[in-house]
Amino acid sequence: MAMRQTPLTCSGHTRPVVDLAFSGITPYGYFLISACKDGKPMLRQGDTGDWIGTFLGHKGAVWGATLNNEATKAATAAADFTAKVWDAVTGDEVLTLAHKHIVKSVNFTQDSSCLLTGGNDKIIRIYDLNKPEAEPQEITGHTSAIKKALWCNNDTQILSAADDKTVRLWDRNSTEVVKQLSFDMSVSSMEYIPDGEVLVITYGKTIAFYNALSLDMIKTVDAPASIHSASLHPDKDFFVAGGDDFKLYKFDYGTKEELESYKGHFGPVHCVRFSPDGELYASGSEDGTLRLWQTAVGKTYGLWKCVLPGEFSSIWHGIGKVLTGAWFPPDVMLGIHAKEFNLGFISPENLVSHVLRVL
Amino acid sequence: MRPHVSVLRLPRGPDPNGRGFDPNSPRFIALCPTTISASTETGTDSVQIREEQRARSVLRESFLRTLIAMTNKQVQFHMYERVKVEAKFGASDIDVLNFQVSELHTPIGVQKEALLRCQDVISYSFDL
Repeated sequence: MAMRQTPLTCSGHTRPVVDLAFSGITPYGYFLISACKDGKPMLRQGDTGDWIGTFLGHKGAVWGATLNNEATKAATAAADFTAKVWDAVTGDEVLTLAHKHIVKSVNFTQDSSCLLTGGNDKIIRIYDLNKPEAEPQEITGHTSAIKKALWCNNDTQILSAADDKTVRLWDRNSTEVVKQLSFDMSVSSMEYIPDGEVLVITYGKTIAFYNALSLDMIKTVDAPASIHSASLHPDKDFFVAGGDDFKLYKFDYGTKEELESYKGHFGPVHCVRFSPDGELYASGSEDGTLRLWQTAVGKTYGLWKCVLPGEFSSIWHGIGKVLTGAWFPPDVMLGIHAKEFNLGFISPENLVSHVLRVL
Repeated sequence: MRPHVSVLRLPRGPDPNGRGFDPNSPRFIALCPTTISASTETGTDSVQIREEQRARSVLRESFLRTLIAMTNKQVQFHMYERVKVEAKFGASDIDVLNFQVSELHTPIGVQKEALLRCQDVISYSFDL
């Protein structure tokens, strides 16, 4: 019987989560950073959502956050007119880069030597992190606030999306624009997939896929609601999207068919990204939470456990009040209870009478 | 009704008492053998590292002792934008991000209780 998706809710932020990013796969697993309007970006273990630390220092809403591949450095862009670079192991602030307006986007090169920033002053900046006092290289051209600026084509080019309804491809050395895409409305998000050079752009209810080198359109897919963010699976078989109607949608990339939709968030979904191994995707919402969703529902991975039919499993409350409930047949699984609780699995022989709560 | 996928537990949330980055985690221990990296180059003598660490320990301890000595004393704070305020120092938070002060004398009046953001403080002085 097909199982129902159980998203894992990561709480801790007190205001809307507006951006999130995964690191690459490191010897310690992979990591997730979330940008929040409460000004306190958080680092979490990518496969479980466990909180690792909070980067303290920004004095305004954090609009963008990113990790380098090794998850040793983090960068954040904030409404306090600064971009900050952090040591992602100790949580210490390493660098503050002053800007003249709200910074919206930050992105490391593959070798973490340079940081790209973009924001409301309409200028793309390239900082050499080995020479942070040096003036950044500036790329001008956009006529409105920049939403996102990303390295592409092996860090030789830059892709930027701005409120001027354009997406532009720049050459890093000449700082000239190579190609430009114009839309009827503002682009809400952009994701770059280096492997295969795919660019995922969302605007209105549309999720569009482009070749990142030529900016030729590959395909577009329309969703039932206005979409704020989308992400393509590393194997390019699925993509997920979320937006105004609070739901997460999963589509087949090849057939463009809507496969599943999931309710769970209590506010619009602002960002969604697949993990580097494609096993889960994370969404950030206006409701202040991040949720982790399984790509293959029912698979044992991270905190999700697959229970085979006929196998007894039960969850018992280890602290305080015992919850009322009912005994359920083996293949109906148990839900989640908030607050502190202990979980354990008891084999059926040891089970005398336990009560369970189902959500 | 279709069954829900089961979970082992919920993701762990933030610790209300600190900013995290557990120094006892395997990742921290492996990637941060010493926090002196800022001032040393590769291949530095281990004696120098020990010396520096000793100096850092002494300085840190002195700093923490000054915070203790400052309790309930009148402290003058020099802050950005040529701001000079005086207050009775109460306490610092664990990461030295905020100072809790009382009777903060400001150009627009006296604030009974206030939190000073440490990032905004350039220097402070008090009589022992």
